[in-house]
Amino acid sequence: MLNLTIPLAWHYVWQEFRQPHQLLLRWVQAVLMVFIVTLSLASNTIQTYLEGNLQNLLGADAVLTQKANLTKEQITVLAGHSENVVKTSQIDATLTFNTKWQRTKLKAVGRDYPLQGQLLTSTSVLASNDNLAEVTHGGPKLGNIWLDSRLFASLSAVMGDVINVGEHRFVVSRLLVHEPDRLMEGHNVAMRAIINIEDMEKLAFAADLIQYRYLVSGTKSQINQLMQWQKQSLPAAKIHHKQGAHPLALFWQRTENFLGLASIILFFMAAIAIEQLAQLHLKKEQFFSAICMSLGASKVTGLQLSILKWFFNILLLIPVVVVISGICHWLVVNWLSTTFPAISWQLEAGLMAKTITTSVLLFAVFHTPVWLTLWQTSVPKLFQQNRKSISLGLVKLCALVVLVLVAFKYSDNGLLTLMLVGSIFITILLLVAISWAALTFGEKATQRFSGLIPFSLFMMKQRLLSKSTQILGIGLSTFLLLFTLMLLRDLGDTMVSYQRTHDGNVMISQADQQQMNAIKEWSMQHGIDLRQTKPYLYAKAVKINDQALDDFSQKPSDSLATLSRSIRLHWSQTVPDNNRVVQGKWWSKDTDKWQQISLEEEVMTDLGLTLGDTLTFIINQQSFTFTIAASHVYQPGAGSITFWVQMPATAVKHINAPHYNMASLEMDDDQWPLLGQMWRQYPTIRMVSLGELTKQFDNILAMITKVISGFAVMIIFLAVTVILSSINAFENKEKKKNCVIMSFGFLKKTCWQLNVIEWLITAFIIAIGAIAGTYITGMLIYQSQFSLVYQPNVTVLCLTLVVILSTVTLLGVYASRHSLKSSVKQLMADV
Amino acid sequence: MPCSIELTRVSQSFSNADSIITLFENLDLSVQQGQSYAITGPSGAGKSSLLMLLSGLEQPTIGKGNVVTGDHIASLDSIRSEIGFIFQQFHLLPELTALNNVALPLKLRGDKNAINKAQLWLDKVGLGDRAMHKPAQLSGGEQQRVAIARALVFSPKFIFADEPTGNLDQHNATEIADILFECCQQNNAGLIIVTHSHELASKAKHIYGLANGKLTNTSVTTEAHVPENSFENISRDTNQALASTAQKKQVLPC
Ligand SMILES: Nc1ncnc2c1ncn2[C@@H]1O[C@H](COP(=O)(O)OP(=O)(O)O)[C@@H](O)[C@H]1O
Ligand SMILES: [Mg+2]
Repeated sequence: MLNLTIPLAWHYVWQEFRQPHQLLLRWVQAVLMVFIVTLSLASNTIQTYLEGNLQNLLGADAVLTQKANLTKEQITVLAGHSENVVKTSQIDATLTFNTKWQRTKLKAVGRDYPLQGQLLTSTSVLASNDNLAEVTHGGPKLGNIWLDSRLFASLSAVMGDVINVGEHRFVVSRLLVHEPDRLMEGHNVAMRAIINIEDMEKLAFAADLIQYRYLVSGTKSQINQLMQWQKQSLPAAKIHHKQGAHPLALFWQRTENFLGLASIILFFMAAIAIEQLAQLHLKKEQFFSAICMSLGASKVTGLQLSILKWFFNILLLIPVVVVISGICHWLVVNWLSTTFPAISWQLEAGLMAKTITTSVLLFAVFHTPVWLTLWQTSVPKLFQQNRKSISLGLVKLCALVVLVLVAFKYSDNGLLTLMLVGSIFITILLLVAISWAALTFGEKATQRFSGLIPFSLFMMKQRLLSKSTQILGIGLSTFLLLFTLMLLRDLGDTMVSYQRTHDGNVMISQADQQQMNAIKEWSMQHGIDLRQTKPYLYAKAVKINDQALDDFSQKPSDSLATLSRSIRLHWSQTVPDNNRVVQGKWWSKDTDKWQQISLEEEVMTDLGLTLGDTLTFIINQQSFTFTIAASHVYQPGAGSITFWVQMPATAVKHINAPHYNMASLEMDDDQWPLLGQMWRQYPTIRMVSLGELTKQFDNILAMITKVISGFAVMIIFLAVTVILSSINAFENKEKKKNCVIMSFGFLKKTCWQLNVIEWLITAFIIAIGAIAGTYITGMLIYQSQFSLVYQPNVTVLCLTLVVILSTVTLLGVYASRHSLKSSVKQLMADV
Repeated sequence: MPCSIELTRVSQSFSNADSIITLFENLDLSVQQGQSYAITGPSGAGKSSLLMLLSGLEQPTIGKGNVVTGDHIASLDSIRSEIGFIFQQFHLLPELTALNNVALPLKLRGDKNAINKAQLWLDKVGLGDRAMHKPAQLSGGEQQRVAIARALVFSPKFIFADEPTGNLDQHNATEIADILFECCQQNNAGLIIVTHSHELASKAKHIYGLANGKLTNTSVTTEAHVPENSFENISRDTNQALASTAQKKQVLPC
């Protein structure tokens, strides 16, 4: 049986190869597959690349920090909640060499360090750039110490020197270029050194000064479990993790989500396009099947032929798709590699095969209504025009369910998929409701008038069912397009603002007023980007609630230790952009009550303070008492210079003390030599360079922006294809309508006018539905998935409305120009 | 005052890529309001094209069509809106009910009584009780009746019917033909029918044959000569017989 039908199907594939509906179907399927495959390949490459980069910056999926060693049992639990654990410890210590000394973050690591990312070191002090640095596995040998380049400079040490930590002596054996788990500690510009973990024990620091850091790698769910466990069993410990508040983590999440969203959207667009084309396809297949059956073939043969024909058509497409998407992927990678040399193209046959299979299955699912109809029909039915069938709706619903399942399977973010699917359903409901309401009430309201508008409304209302498939198709594409564009714009804006406000690559930690002025002038002169400046004065806490600091708490605490040294006290009228008030109320501008402060939340919790408590500071030998009025936390997005303690700007008048500034600069590679000039003139400016760290950060930002814009272009292209194919699918119906109207004695002009009015009404419904859908989706998805605040802008919305109205109308009228070329004669001729 | 459409010495030809197809040359034809005409001929002879010229929807390659009302001569554009069509494939809009299909031309003209008038016409063609049915729920004959009602509802001066019974069985064809002729007569509309069916053609007052680019008035010649083909003779006789019974039989209250 099959050995007969296969050659026959193959024969008909070539017979029908040039027929317009086959061409269109092939075109849409090919475009979709190329897009989906390219997207999968590209996003896979990018994700792998970013993963590597992010690992280099973060060094672990999570870091658990504690003041004490974990017990055996605790380590067992930790190991159970992770794939791998690496223990490190860290302390603030002073290194001495000859007469010089320098306070340093001293880290102790074992042979198993680093966990993720690359530890870069060098035997040459000159190797501060990446090229000369080597990838190193494991920390220093016993008795050795590695210093970062600033530490080398400040101690005036060279390789092989022996420096002291307390009473112990260490040989300087390497230059520390990059340690991957640095960023996870938060924003820190301290100088750094590494020793062996066994040496740390020998140094015998007071146990409460050491910070034990456990670097953990594991899946998302493992990390979540770990965090649960920590909250219950180790409340004093702290966990930093990839999904945390770190700006890079946020970007990572956004990118992952955007890529996921893009592929789901592509799938849905594909579904819409196929659905619309299936209506066209169905008729042709029915006709074909009818001819087969009238020639004596059985129903099964007709169905087999139809399925085989479809399958052969797809098979013919696959080599083309593989080649084109391979080339596209290569182009994308090539384009990216101009900025990111480390990225490289690889043939990923497995992923390609998986994606193509998924797409083909999806197409098959959306063709099932066609085949089912063929199965249900009989010869007389086939030749009749009547082919309404109730079960067809059911099949379409099933197809939709399958699609949703595919979407869930395909994306690894279930919640996001659910939200998107939910919004699509809401938009469908909205579009249906709006079409029904607009046409019903529009028709009712205009019933008593004569003219073309009431007639159009009447016609559309009468053809609601067939019209609504078109409205749904175009409406959904418009909605998806609109949402993608909106998200793109908002993401782009945030990225740009990040790039504008993030730290810069030179950090000035202390510059007095005169020095600051000089820096301002100097940066202006050379076109150096001065990103932020924040003033502060030094203050030393002496009393809490009128109680001496030492008596206040018996429990040793990091915060207390820091508070008892001089802290930087910042003043500001309003809440700084990179802070958020979590408790209490920030003071009003120009407040007279200047003796109030806002304290960082962690410090508050650490010291057990509440709002209303008082802190007494010694500032420039005078004593001032402040009441805690608010508590703030750091929020990423507007630079990293933040302060533990802040007071109203009005307080400055009352306090006589020298002012200092913190600032950040962004310098180009060729501007670096200028820095020496500054140093010579003002040797006391405290400045550090973060070049290497921020470069990676900048690269990742640039890449994400590029990638997202690339995907948006794909989606725009696809949306237009879907809209055009949907219009195309309705062309015959429109043509007939126009012919019939002309046969009533009307001119082509009337048809044209009717056409324009109809498209205007359609566009209006689509625009309202799509905008409302976008609005709801924005509310649903923005905050939870992209940590963006959704702020719909009325002007932008109105503008979008106008743009959609005119675009859809123009596209519609343009695409239906064929249906206007009709004449009554076609009604006489056509079958 | 009744008007007539006159084609004088018109020629129609289409130029394809390299060849020129000439359908007819120097053709004269005049159709009058209130009269009925049948045009027969082999397929591809140019019958439909001739209808297009008569209705003014297409221009002849040479010559011109006019509307003559008494002494007044105007271009065919002037009666463009007073012409209705009926097709072999019915061409009802599938999404509209029978009633709305009939009401369509009136609605387009802004007639507020469209629905009532449409219902009246549906009653006339005997489908008053099927008003709410969609075309897919109607048989071919019923669909064509709806199409007739739709073509006549706006009281056009001429009706052009291109093989209106071509898709129908004998019984339905006869019925449709009767309705069509009755209604046109009642409405004082000129009826121009293109048909292969001699039975249908014989109902018309004037019968023309179009073949090999020549239009001949067969209704006159058949009376003058005794045809040699006996089969044709018999069929025409039966046709005439049928036609006369149909005219006597008042099938509907037009
Ligand atoms: N616009 C046109 N361009 C080219 N050829 C045409 C055109 N219209 C009709 N024809 C040709 O003229 C011939 C007569 O067509 P038609 O009037 O439909 O014949 P009939 O109705 O008698 O079957 C056909 O062969 C057709 O191909
Ligand atoms: Mg014809």
